[in-house]
Amino acid sequence: MFKKLIAAALAALFAAQVAISAYAYDGDIMTIADGIVAWKTADNGSEDMLINDSFLEQAGSTAGDWYPIGLSRLGYEDNYGGYLAVVTDCVEERYAQPGKLSAAKATEWHRISLSVLAAGGDPTCLGEDENGEPIDLIRDGVYDRGKTAPLGRQGINGWIWGLIALDSLRYEVPEDAFYQRDDIITEILSRQLADGGFALTGDTADPDMTAMAVQALAPYYNSEKVYGYSLSQSGEEKRCTVRECVDKAVECLSQLQLGTGDLMSWGTENSESVCQVIVALCCLGIDPFSDERFIKNGNTLMDGLMKYHMEDGGFVHSFVYDPQNPQAQPDVSNTMSGEQALYALAAVYRQKNSMRTLYDFRPEQSEELKSHIKTLSENIEDLSENAGEKEIISLLEDYFSIEPDERSYVYNYAKLYDLAKDKGIDTDGAEKSTEIIFAQDNTPSAQSEEFTEEDKAKADSLPQQLTGEYYVSVTSLLDKLENSPDFEGKEKYLEKLKKAREEISRIRAEVESINNEITDKLYPFEDMGLSDRKTVENIVKRCEKLSDYDRGQIKRYEDVIKTQTKLDNRLRGIIIGCCLGAAAAALAVATIFRIRKRRARAENEMEQLAAMYKDEE
Amino acid sequence: MKKDILAIFAIVLIIAVIINGTEIQSVEEYYLTHIDDITPESETVTISIRCDAVLDNYDDLDENLRSEEFVPPDGEILPPTEYVLRDGDSVFDILDRAVRHDRIQMEYQGADKNKFGSVYIQGINYLYEFSCGPLSGWLYKVNGQFPNYGCSEYEPKDGDVIEWVYTCDLGKDAGCGWLQGRQGE
Repeated sequence: MFKKLIAAALAALFAAQVAISAYAYDGDIMTIADGIVAWKTADNGSEDMLINDSFLEQAGSTAGDWYPIGLSRLGYEDNYGGYLAVVTDCVEERYAQPGKLSAAKATEWHRISLSVLAAGGDPTCLGEDENGEPIDLIRDGVYDRGKTAPLGRQGINGWIWGLIALDSLRYEVPEDAFYQRDDIITEILSRQLADGGFALTGDTADPDMTAMAVQALAPYYNSEKVYGYSLSQSGEEKRCTVRECVDKAVECLSQLQLGTGDLMSWGTENSESVCQVIVALCCLGIDPFSDERFIKNGNTLMDGLMKYHMEDGGFVHSFVYDPQNPQAQPDVSNTMSGEQALYALAAVYRQKNSMRTLYDFRPEQSEELKSHIKTLSENIEDLSENAGEKEIISLLEDYFSIEPDERSYVYNYAKLYDLAKDKGIDTDGAEKSTEIIFAQDNTPSAQSEEFTEEDKAKADSLPQQLTGEYYVSVTSLLDKLENSPDFEGKEKYLEKLKKAREEISRIRAEVESINNEITDKLYPFEDMGLSDRKTVENIVKRCEKLSDYDRGQIKRYEDVIKTQTKLDNRLRGIIIGCCLGAAAAALAVATIFRIRKRRARAENEMEQLAAMYKDEE
Repeated sequence: MKKDILAIFAIVLIIAVIINGTEIQSVEEYYLTHIDDITPESETVTISIRCDAVLDNYDDLDENLRSEEFVPPDGEILPPTEYVLRDGDSVFDILDRAVRHDRIQMEYQGADKNKFGSVYIQGINYLYEFSCGPLSGWLYKVNGQFPNYGCSEYEPKDGDVIEWVYTCDLGKDAGCGWLQGRQGE
């Protein structure tokens, strides 16, 4: 009986296993992605698009920038125009502050650069700074970041994400820049640990950081350039190619994979580490679900990820309580887990469809280039160890006929290179003698979206009395209208929305100015005197002019009311005091007057009495 | 005669002074304006803000912050100060009240702007996360323990001692057993 139970359980387990393994197909990837999108859309309180007004309130923050990346890289249609409008405005506002996007965190620039690209925008020309100059996130956040603060101030992730952002469109670095590309690559390489991995702190690999380092270094995997550096951990001098370092890191990731297919970061089995490894492998052209280095006990990374899949379509961070991520409950779908799963699926989807890797935002390769790379890769795959020199040179020529920036998509080039080396073939010579045939036009195409009837209805329904609550919707509508093809009545809408935008800007500036005034002038409470009454009264008056929504944005308004009440009470005390004083004085005068009168009368009577006595005498 | 007048005016003056110093208030007004007064019955907590770890890692500190204005020589930004615990107060509310009262700069990220669903303190007294190395930032303790949830989620009790400490080593230098924040971006 007992044995039967076990057998049944095993059979069930096996069946489940097979079912889960079948997820590595495209269709299923999209089904899982659809589930995440549906879950997050409902979580935002939206009925159609994931990027709704409430989600847009978070544009420019970690909670708001990753979903647009995952969505767009999977080809979902959504409100990217709205996102771009709000994030641009948010960046402009933050650029007016001393630390701009952040005093120490360069990754703010990198994350926003990627999400802007995903939404179809240009991170090198995103709105204007206070001087009317276009804002360039790649310059300020990557190659010239060192002019403000070191790129790695927040740790190795500053270097890693800086490189990812820099390579998102293979941006050129000017000669006089603070960091050259190789500086950033060297900084990452020098932080490799003895076990081949990378970590924010300590000397053992963390899967997330190791995977992210691989994602950043992947475009340089085919480069034979040898980097000289000293390891920051041991001080040991090293001379390595990116490929040697990445191979070690991938081996390290394989070691870190658990029997269940997932990985453990900071002591907790979690869904995000699997996602990062999936993205890293896709960047290298490795199939994350069939490569034997990443199958443990028959479990793939996909099995590891699906462990965390929830019935509502979302994902959980971990099934065990994680003190580092205390808000992530072990049984409720979580925003961060969902977004990372979404973009990991995007990486797989793009790999399966021979598209560009997740963070390579250049336009897709031409069909011609794709097919050339496909044939070349197959030929390299078929290459046997005793291939002839001629065959190898011919393949090398095929490789070098591709424009350098596209060569990273020949994922198995290393095999060809190694064989060539074995045969003593001069690869540099082959490169020099080969003409580039396969060049790629990477100028992004300009697009303009129509201002729809729905948008018009939205603009028409704006209330007369605007409040800050309409900030997101007006900002995105106006941006869409400005970039839309002409239509009848466009001018009218432009005028209306521009006016609305100005009014909302005015309100938002007023709220901020009141907030500053409050922190500046109303503390400490005990020191407030009657001379401050005007200031307080002025603040209250300004607050009362605001709508309920905007008054809700005033921080610690209760302190203002408290101060006002206190000063009013004191003034009232003084007035009452004065009145009572005056009354007392009047009473005193009256009393004195009466006493005098009485005395005068008494004297008078005395005199009369005296006169009477005198008469009698 | 003159003596009488003088005596009466003296009395009037005394009355005026007494009335002047008294605030004439309704009960509601009294409660509103005295909400933060510490009486023997009031529930209170103590809050302090320190940055000792920066002093031990001065070489890692952002050069623009190397001044006594930002890093007091004794590491004390706010000495232990008692505050009345209002109904529903979180550790964040107390911190906000304290820095406003003492006019200490503070910047935070609202609960809706990050993935942790809680207010996140980015900087106090111009010392920000990562101002002093990659593992630096603000942490808080309640009665010597590091609570493992966000400061706007934690509601302290009467008599609790709240300490905001700047760490340069993910909390290890402050005696924090577990590590705050996931790495990466």
